[in-house]
Order: sequence, then structure tokens, then C-alpha cells
Amino acid sequence: MSVTFHIPGALREFTAGRSTVEIEQLAGTLADALSGLWTLYPGVRDRIVTEQGQVRQHINIFIGAENVRYTGGLASPVSNGSEISIVPAVSGG
Amino acid sequence: MIGQVLGHCRVLSKIGEGGMGVVYRAYDEVLHREVALKVVNKDLGLDPSASQNLLHEARASSSLAHPNICTIHEVGETGGELYIVMELVEGKSLHVMSGEGGLPPESVLRYGVQIASALARAHDRGIIHRDLKTANIVVTADGLVKVLDFGLAKQVGSGILEGPTRSFATVQDASSVSGTLPYMAPEILRGEAADGRSDLWALGVVLYELASGRLPFEGRTGFEISSIIMREPPKPLGPPVPPGLWATIQRCLAKEPMQRYQRASEVQAALEAVQSGAIVAADSGTDRSAGAPRTTVLHSVRHAHVRKGDFLLLVGTTKGAFILRSNAQRSRWEVGGPYFHGHTVYALAYDGRGSRHRIWASTQSYWGTLLRSSEDFGKSWTNPQQASIRFPPDTGVSLKNIWQITLGRPEEPDVLYCGVEPAALFESRDAGETWSLVRGLFDHPHRPRWMPGNGGLSLHSIVLDPADNQRMYVAISAGGVYRTDDAGRTWTAQNRGIRAMFMPDKYPEFGQCVHKIALHPDRPGRLFLQNHWGLYRSDNCAETWTDIANGVPSDFGFAVVIHPKNPDWVYVVPVESDEFRCACEGRLRVYRTRNAGASWEPLMRGLPQKRAYETVLRDAMSADSFDPVGIYLGTRSGQLFGSRDEGRTWQKILEGLPSVVCVRCALVEDAFGESKASPRESHRTSSPAKSATTPKSQQTKKS
Repeated sequence: MSVTFHIPGALREFTAGRSTVEIEQLAGTLADALSGLWTLYPGVRDRIVTEQGQVRQHINIFIGAENVRYTGGLASPVSNGSEISIVPAVSGG
Repeated sequence: MIGQVLGHCRVLSKIGEGGMGVVYRAYDEVLHREVALKVVNKDLGLDPSASQNLLHEARASSSLAHPNICTIHEVGETGGELYIVMELVEGKSLHVMSGEGGLPPESVLRYGVQIASALARAHDRGIIHRDLKTANIVVTADGLVKVLDFGLAKQVGSGILEGPTRSFATVQDASSVSGTLPYMAPEILRGEAADGRSDLWALGVVLYELASGRLPFEGRTGFEISSIIMREPPKPLGPPVPPGLWATIQRCLAKEPMQRYQRASEVQAALEAVQSGAIVAADSGTDRSAGAPRTTVLHSVRHAHVRKGDFLLLVGTTKGAFILRSNAQRSRWEVGGPYFHGHTVYALAYDGRGSRHRIWASTQSYWGTLLRSSEDFGKSWTNPQQASIRFPPDTGVSLKNIWQITLGRPEEPDVLYCGVEPAALFESRDAGETWSLVRGLFDHPHRPRWMPGNGGLSLHSIVLDPADNQRMYVAISAGGVYRTDDAGRTWTAQNRGIRAMFMPDKYPEFGQCVHKIALHPDRPGRLFLQNHWGLYRSDNCAETWTDIANGVPSDFGFAVVIHPKNPDWVYVVPVESDEFRCACEGRLRVYRTRNAGASWEPLMRGLPQKRAYETVLRDAMSADSFDPVGIYLGTRSGQLFGSRDEGRTWQKILEGLPSVVCVRCALVEDAFGESKASPRESHRTSSPAKSATTPKSQQTKKS
């Protein structure tokens, strides 16, 4: 199966300019899919998660239209064709 | 040569000949094995020092033990013949194998992974190949890749330039250039030094050649080739080349080194990911086929044009950094920036030690906190794939911010320190490449009881004792002052006499909200301290502290700066109170003591004195080292002021900036490779902590 990541502009420096990246992987969790993403594009990892592997405070990840904060975080299941969006939070001054 | 003995190797037969020399099959009569013997071409005209360098380089390379690196067994010189004894590798070069049309993608990936692995090992040992090309890579009958001639190109200079390279040599003095032109990275053509990323460029060329059977940058003359390398993107590779492989090649062939993979291990990981089928397709909708991903080379901002002898103000704000350039007059300013749009730049530092002219910046945004550097005064910045400052997994702690970047002592030009949030100290001993947590402080039993101040639990001050290389101070808000006398292994709280107004016990052992500390190198036993309520001096290495708020309108404030040339002169900017952190009475006044705190005088000529509800934060004031000394401060409302006469009169340098959080001074003594008298004398920063690290001998030579 495959899942598609939508990459925000600020991170495309690390995905060779790509706005979407499709990852082929076995069915699993968001953590598995992210792991596939940064195997391919290592620079993305530290921008999305802390060194302890937690999603950064002001970064939201959506699977489809669901914010994963409410669906199990990194353990949220992904399925064939899942569209995963990485979005900085609306915050700050 | 056949039948001759060099060292203990008897020459058996000729294998081949390249620009560098002739390669023979030989027999090692001591170890009883066949070896390859490369005899360096005398026509290269190496002078004795170049010969010695070549031998030295070869010896360094001989330390590389890796299955994909052709092992160098021995190097030597006999009868004027330079020779290198190496592992006998029998197989075909990738140059021969790639032939017409290239190799199947599986083979490209299989070989590419091995080459990247070899480069990763060499780069880890500080060895750069400098002449990676398909002709230098052999595949054995077992399918094992062997990379030849590691590190040998540099010392041979233009001697090994082959084919089109020779014509290149005719259009430009290539005497300092080593390598083979179609594989040369743009920065080498620009005459810059090669580093590991130049090898990654060459790896990109090799992968392209293997995948397609042709070079990515072709031309009829050396001039044409170099022009294409500098400017043109490679022609895209379509099926059967998998998109993931093409993306990897493009990334290797990014024109600017900082846009490429930064480490060979990353290329290896990317190729393995493609190999394992992890990627099936990648949308190229936004792919600029130039292979130039979004970049840290900033074209939309204005840059300061820095020359030797210039004076710089580095200004960090909540929305980016600025570099202001002037000269000893300090009257006209050219402004570069903003750099790091939208990121908060809490810490800046200029490192002019050694032959560097490097600006360090810490950036904080949604995407985390990074330490970044520029070698060209802001035109380009590193943007590391992986954050270099990170808490180890066992701590369970994540980096929130980098508050302070402090240079190590002049005699340790590769040492740097960073103070971070949550409160911890990191140390680098390799000029900022790698960092480690100072465990002695992190594991201190007090740490769980430190409390965050308004700005977070931060370690914001790092002060090195110039007279004792084992001694160092840090200040934590709110943990207090800690000192080590054994280079960081153990730390003691040094807060006797400092108030903690917010604690039931007003004079606890630790837990004070110290805002800043500073030390003058002429008086290493004396420190000044601006507290969250309280202004203090210690004359005994922080053993005890004395209140010196004698005549300031408020003893609340943030910044404290010592005059670089007079250890009795200190500058602070009092604010009204904890609740109302603005200049007292709406008048922006700097207070100066000229007697180490016995009395203070206001300095306000040129500073706003009506409705100026300004705040100068802990790192937003700094001093230069000219004569007379200049003092600079930035405010939360985005104004930048400077005084050229030690604070007597002030001028507004800039307004309308985002909130200023950091101001640092730097004198550029050596720029763009110009020679200098002494590397040590080039260290010219004058932030409070930086001044403290600069010995008197340097201070007095300033200006």
C-alpha cells in the first residue's frame, strides 16, 4: 500500500522541492509512515519531531481531515491511500 | 621497471597508466602476497614538499579500513621514485561498465550504496577523496565496489587533470585545483576549498553517469564544461531511472553545498530507501528541475558587503537576524538581512579564531531550534539535516531554545559552548560540528528543583575564567550561579548573598533568578550580576556577593556589560519593576558605574526621555573594543542605539526592527582568506560573556 505526505513549503528544502511524497509501506501506524518519510528525506525528521520522537508542540499532523492529536497521535493507523498533511499551528505574534 | 624492487615489492607487470602514474602488479616479498604498486609520475614535477604531502596523505588514507575502499598498505620513496603499495583490486572500472546507455537501476543503487558507505567512512576520518569518478571505482568479480586513490588528488594538484581538464587549465590557472573537471563541484571551480560535500557532488555525477551512460555536464571545451557545471541543471533522467534515484542524484548535484545532502551516510540512506522500494513515486509538480530545492541562499534580502577591518553589529530579533556593517568610525551603517524570516534569533556569536570568519546563530520556530552558521557574512547559512544540539535519549528532555553561544578560550579555537533551555550546557570540541551535553551540570542534584523564569528555564550566561582553564561559571534562570573548578565535571551553587524575592527563604543556596553575569579578564576573580531584583558584585570568584545598587532608580534589569578596557566600569539598564518591565519613568537611561558599583550615573543624551517604555533584554546590550569604546543596545520596541563615546552620547542606529533580543559586536580582522599576524588576535567579540573570554593581551590590542 502507499500513503501520500503533503509537505509544507518550509520543509521542501529537505524534500528536493517536492510538495507531495508517496511512500510505499506495509499497513501500519503514522509512526511507521513518518519513519519511511525520513528515511528518504532525513532533514524532515528534526523539524517535525523532537529528539525524543514527540511531534513538536506547534506542528499538527492530519490524516485526511483528522488531526492525529485526537486519533492516537503517532499510533494513529494509516491505510492504503491515506493523505497525511503536516501543518504548522496557527499561533504566535 | 619490471623486475625491480621498490621497498619490499618486486614489480611483476604493468597493469595500467593514469595521469598520476603507472600502476604495476607486484609481489610483496615479506608478506607473500600480490599487490598493486603505483609509481608516481615524475613528470608531475612535484617539489619536495608536495612529495612529502603526498606521502603524508597516503599514510592518512592507509588508516581507512573499509570493504569498499582499496586499502593502502605502504607508501615510500626510493631513488627519487614515489610509490604507493595498495591492495590489488581486479575487476572492471565503473567507467568501462557504464558504457552506452548506463546500468540497470538496481546495479546503480547497489554500487551507489557501497560508494556512499566508503565516503561516509573516509569523511568520518576527515579524509576527502577529491577525485571521485567512475574511472576510480572498480567492481570486483564478486560485485564488490572498491574506491581507489582516496585523498591522493589534493597533493598532486593539476598533475592528474585529464582530458578536458587540461584545456580547463589553459583558460584558468588551475594550479590549485585538483580533480577531474566533469566531476568537479561548482565551489571547487570557484576556487573554494573542497569538503565532504564536494565528494557528494562527484558521487551525484557518478550516479548520473551510471544511470544514463553519459555525464550530466558535457561540453566541447573545459571552459564550456565548467560554465555548464556552474549554471545549468542536469538533464532530467526519466524511466527506467526510479524517481527516488533521480531525486537523490539531483540532491547531490545541488549547486550550493548546503543544499546537498550534508553527509555521505544520508546519501547511503536515501539510496537504500529507493533500493528497498520504500518510495514508488514522488510528485514533481513543484520540482524545479534545476535540482535546486528551497534554499538558505537568500536572494530576496540585502546583504552587507563585509571587508577586512569592518566592524559588525549582529542583531537578533524575534523575527530574524540582521548584520550591520560599519568601520572604526561607527557613524554609517549598511544593513544586511533580515535572515531567518520569522524565526527568533536569541543568540549570535562571531568566531574569528583560527582562519575563520564565521557567524553563529540560533534560530527558533515551529520547526524547532537549530544552531546555524555562515561563512560569508550572511549570504548563505547552514541548515543542517539533523539538529546538532540534542539531548541524549536517556534524558527524556527535548531542546526548546539556545540562549547563548560562547566561544571557548583562544588557546582552544575549536571549543564552543551553548547554553540552552531547558537549562543545560552543551560543549563542542570540533568547532561546532558535534556537541555533547555537559553531564556534570545536567546530573546536578539541584536540577530537578530549578524553576523556570518568565522566559523559560534557561541557561543564558557562560563565563570562562581566563586565568584558570578549569574554571567556568554559568547562570540559570531560575537556578542561580554555578561554578566548576574542574572543567565541567562537578559544579557548585555560588549564590551566597543573592536575594530570591519570590522564595520563602530570601537567601537560598540556589534557585535565584539571575538575569546575567559578566566578568572582566583583567580581574578574573570579580564578577558582576544583574538579578531579578538586585545588582551584585563578587570579588572572590562568586563565593559571596555584595549588593551594589547604590543610586540606580531600580535594581531590576536584565543586561550587564563591563567596559572592555576598564574593569571598574559597568553598564546596566534598570527597569521599573517585576510587574512593569519598562524603563523607569518612561525614560530610557543607561546607568554606568566607574567605581565597580560604589555609585552609578545616568547616561541619556540622545536616548528617548519621553514615553519611552522600553526594555533592554539580557543579551541586547554589548560593547565594542575601539578607543573610545562603543556601547550598543536594542530594545523590545525594535530600536537600536549606539554610543561612540563610552555612553556619554547616543545615536539611534535603526528603528522599526522586530523586538531585539540579542546584540553582539565583531571586528572582522581577517576576511576572505587574507593573511593575519596571529590567529589568536583575531578573536574580537565584546558581548559581556565574550569579553570575559578574551584575555587582556587581546583586549588592549583592539581598535
